[in-house]
Amino acid sequence: MDMNDIDAAVTVRVNGLRRQFDSKEGKVIALDGVDMQVRKGEVFGVLGPNGAGKTTMIRILSTLLLPSSGKAEVMGFDVGKEPEKIRAVINMASGAERAGYDFITARGNLWFFSQLYGIPSEEAHKRINELSKMLGLQNYLDRKFYALSTGYKQRVTLVRAFINDPKVVFLDEPTIGLDVMTALSIREYILKQAKDHGRTILLATHNMAEVDAICNRVAIIDKGKILACDTPAALKRTLGASSLVLDVSPVPTLGALEPLGKLDGVKGYTSSIDEERGLSRIQVVVEGDAAGQSVVEAIRKMGMTVMSNWRQQATLEEVFVALVGRGFREREHETS
Amino acid sequence: MKLHSNPWLRTAYARLWVRAKSIYGEPLWVAINIGFPFFTSFSFTMVYRAYGLGSYAGFAILGGVMISFWGNVLWSMASQFNWDKQVGLFEIYISSPASISAILVGMSLGGILGTAPSAALVALLGWAIFHPAVNPVWPAVISVFALTLASLYAMGMALSSLYLAYGREADSVNEALHEPVSLISGVYFPSTGGFSPFPLAVQAGASLIPLTLGMDALRRTLFFGQGFGEPTIDLELVALAIMGIVLLFASSKALKFLEDKGRRTGTIAVRQR
Repeated sequence: MDMNDIDAAVTVRVNGLRRQFDSKEGKVIALDGVDMQVRKGEVFGVLGPNGAGKTTMIRILSTLLLPSSGKAEVMGFDVGKEPEKIRAVINMASGAERAGYDFITARGNLWFFSQLYGIPSEEAHKRINELSKMLGLQNYLDRKFYALSTGYKQRVTLVRAFINDPKVVFLDEPTIGLDVMTALSIREYILKQAKDHGRTILLATHNMAEVDAICNRVAIIDKGKILACDTPAALKRTLGASSLVLDVSPVPTLGALEPLGKLDGVKGYTSSIDEERGLSRIQVVVEGDAAGQSVVEAIRKMGMTVMSNWRQQATLEEVFVALVGRGFREREHETS
Repeated sequence: MKLHSNPWLRTAYARLWVRAKSIYGEPLWVAINIGFPFFTSFSFTMVYRAYGLGSYAGFAILGGVMISFWGNVLWSMASQFNWDKQVGLFEIYISSPASISAILVGMSLGGILGTAPSAALVALLGWAIFHPAVNPVWPAVISVFALTLASLYAMGMALSSLYLAYGREADSVNEALHEPVSLISGVYFPSTGGFSPFPLAVQAGASLIPLTLGMDALRRTLFFGQGFGEPTIDLELVALAIMGIVLLFASSKALKFLEDKGRRTGTIAVRQR
């Protein structure tokens, strides 16, 4: 594929995109000079902690929000100047939404949404049946929307997102708050939509497993800037470091682990608490065995006991840790 | 669900269908839609009778019919977009190619269609129980009724955009508007003209509300045999038509303005980042 082919296949193009909001505390920069290209048929992940700017990007690309500066195009149309042309070829859905009319059935709601795109009723019902079957929703279509569980409401949302046969679909945390099996079936569905229909899917998420499972490429975003963009495998490969995982006790106090980040050979760390076992799990991205050893010693000096430790293949979280020096949890804590 | 291939009509029809179906989706709402106006009408009818004005009891029954529509305009039209915004429907509308005017017109027609059976039931019950004296000029009654509803729902569309800007306070605004507007627009008694208890300034202000002129014209055409050619009726019909057009135009402009403003400030969706 030469450069011209790549260019023709680009469905989403973002250059120097910047968006700031005015708040009581002052100006908040949600996107800070983002450059990005997404190609036809790609499932493209935008991975970052809460508050990184993912939703703002989706809002701009789906014409709900104007950029403060920079340029964004979808299917060659400018989001600021040609929103109507973009709206005809896209769709969007958010995991946080439960949008539907309570006293109307799931089928009635989906038919209503299809009419916003002017789809003939017969065609709309055909699509509703096909898409619902793919998501295991077909037996719930005639239930009132309020009577559906969270998982089935989310399936309705995802059928809606593809009801108009869109060329580009923006999904914001589509599996948030769902059980593992529902999340799996939704991921399969998203992948199938991209593969079988050549749709571009831009998936904003903070779920690394999701990105690993279905994204062709991923942009890692933090504080409104894209830090890295490549395939998940390539990002992990370029990390050039492995992760040292330690289960320690007692659980460290807030900020107690900060000295770890200053050790030679340590690219960053993240931690979580295993309340059931009263342990803290610390993941440290290290270069070389010596750095690993100094981490273990430093933790002991902090008065903690290392219950177990092992090395593991780098995950996308470690890539984020290596880029930012902190994990998602620490980043979200800092932001809040 | 067969329909013309025009996307605007499809959107309007779909929104009409949702509105009308939702109104009858909850039996309690149906009971409230019929019960509240009927019992209030019943009370006012008793007052008219108690003071020896039984021949005017029809005013109270007509008020019960029209208050159903006014309630629908306030609660199911004006505050609807705010509710849509809270649950994420408004951003679905905006990010789709659908016309917002089609959605508003669909909401209005659905509201009228959904409220009409309740209103008709209030009228039937009232007439069956109290046998009020009527002297209708039907073409004029129908014209006034249609124009009143058109301008009333156009007002609902204009309020939709206003409430969209208000956000969560919309429900309080509804509460604040409901009773005072019912009072000064003379739903159950004449609030303009010689029998009005209000000073001229209040009457003039009240006349800017379509419900006021509509109620007055309905009383004249339904109970006093006035029809086309009567200066008051003609004037009220023209005024209602102008109000409807102006409010329709204002609502369309206001919604476009709010959409553009929302895209600039990030207020189309509830969550900003």
